[in-house]
Amino acid sequence: MSMNLDSETPVTYGSWYKYGVAFLSVEMLIAIAVSAYSLYMTFHGLGGFPGKH
Amino acid sequence: MNSNKVEQLVIATVGFFWCFLMWFSTAAFSPSIAANYHLDIKELGLLASSAIWMAPIGRIVAGWASDRFGAPRTFAAILAGCGLVSIASGFTSNYDLLFAERVVVAIAGVSFVVGIQHVAQWFDSHEIGTAEGLYAGTGNVGAGVGALLLPRIFGTNYQGAFVWLGAIALGIGLWYLVRGSAAKNAERRHAARVGSDMRGTIFVWSRYIAIALMLAYAMSFGLEIAMNAWLPGYFARGFHGAILALGFTSVAGVQIAAGTFAAVQSFTASLFRPFAGFMSDLFQRRGWTPLPFIAKSLPYAPRLHWLGIALILITLAMAALTAAGLSGSLHLSVAVLVAFGIFVSFGTGGTFALVPLLFPDRPGVAAGFIGGISTAGGIVYPLIFAGSANIHMGYLYAALYMFVPFLLFYFWAARYERHPEEHGLFEAVPAE
Repeated sequence: MSMNLDSETPVTYGSWYKYGVAFLSVEMLIAIAVSAYSLYMTFHGLGGFPGKH
Repeated sequence: MNSNKVEQLVIATVGFFWCFLMWFSTAAFSPSIAANYHLDIKELGLLASSAIWMAPIGRIVAGWASDRFGAPRTFAAILAGCGLVSIASGFTSNYDLLFAERVVVAIAGVSFVVGIQHVAQWFDSHEIGTAEGLYAGTGNVGAGVGALLLPRIFGTNYQGAFVWLGAIALGIGLWYLVRGSAAKNAERRHAARVGSDMRGTIFVWSRYIAIALMLAYAMSFGLEIAMNAWLPGYFARGFHGAILALGFTSVAGVQIAAGTFAAVQSFTASLFRPFAGFMSDLFQRRGWTPLPFIAKSLPYAPRLHWLGIALILITLAMAALTAAGLSGSLHLSVAVLVAFGIFVSFGTGGTFALVPLLFPDRPGVAAGFIGGISTAGGIVYPLIFAGSANIHMGYLYAALYMFVPFLLFYFWAARYERHPEEHGLFEAVPAE
């Protein structure tokens, strides 16, 4: 089911890596927010912000 | 050296983001352009599809050029060329000339493979998935940001937008040229330049694993850009009654509702892409190889398994889209679309976490082939979707008749336990 490849050799990440992971987390939150808004709109239609037009 | 590596990633990402913004800026202003030149629906469709025309061939050439001349020069040339033509298009009053100029500006979309090559030349194998994911995912969202912000900033003044987009592209091009560096060290740069000859190109194009990755990218990115163009019309027609019931009764209202539902795919597929690269790194770190048939002892075997999982999920999501559509539930269709977009991002991120590792000496040529030919999916899939008698059935047909064979080929090509890149249509290996 699993194997040891890189896990056998310790891997050192640069200091950039944790910021990169934080940044991709923020990007995912934006995508989730857009998805949640769209789903909300499927239930509420014109009542969904900024659906008033 | 470490900060320089990050600087190169930032330069490539900003350059690609701007190129993506320019690539889809014509679509963002298509209602204004249509009104200005009195275009009918067929002419509007032609204008929209023209954005993808240059991608298959252009990306192949751009990949080769980035290996040959280095990414900074190639990217700067793309930004400068597209920027100048974008500025010119802002002063054009003849539609035929404007159409031709916007086709040239759409060449900006080929920059993807140049940045992929650039990032691959700087980052090591254990962090390549996250680095490539951050580059491509952040850059891809330029399409969504453009569609969201450009009409709000410029209104119907698309001429002004084209001039500003072009002028800023020139500035980014200059920055790329001055601060960009082609590779981490001279050895990597030399290997890429030597590997970009005709023999190297034929070698990559004939490898089974390269063809499998190209088909995997057609199943993911090719599908993503196809859905960008297809989904607004799909929701407007396939769920017209449900949208009317929500209170969107005017043409503009239906467009807003359909566009909002369709945006789910664009945002999730773009913004989850870095996460997909991170997951590829995680599979690699933990050594996970759960799938049968696919190689388990290759140094990058877990990444092959992660991509295999992504391709299975995409195929299942296509069938789920058909099922949700046939059920008539708008809520279910949008919910499935969220999962669909995430699975597509797994495919795009998973593919380009592998490409630089399989062809380390030919990253540009490989990225050009895999990232170029696959974009033809953006033209082919909408034809399948539109050709179905029932508007919801096209996803299932594409999954059964295209994705299942692609998936089987991937499993077959990824089964070699030693040097899969040596197996191809012929066994000739070019001199290094």
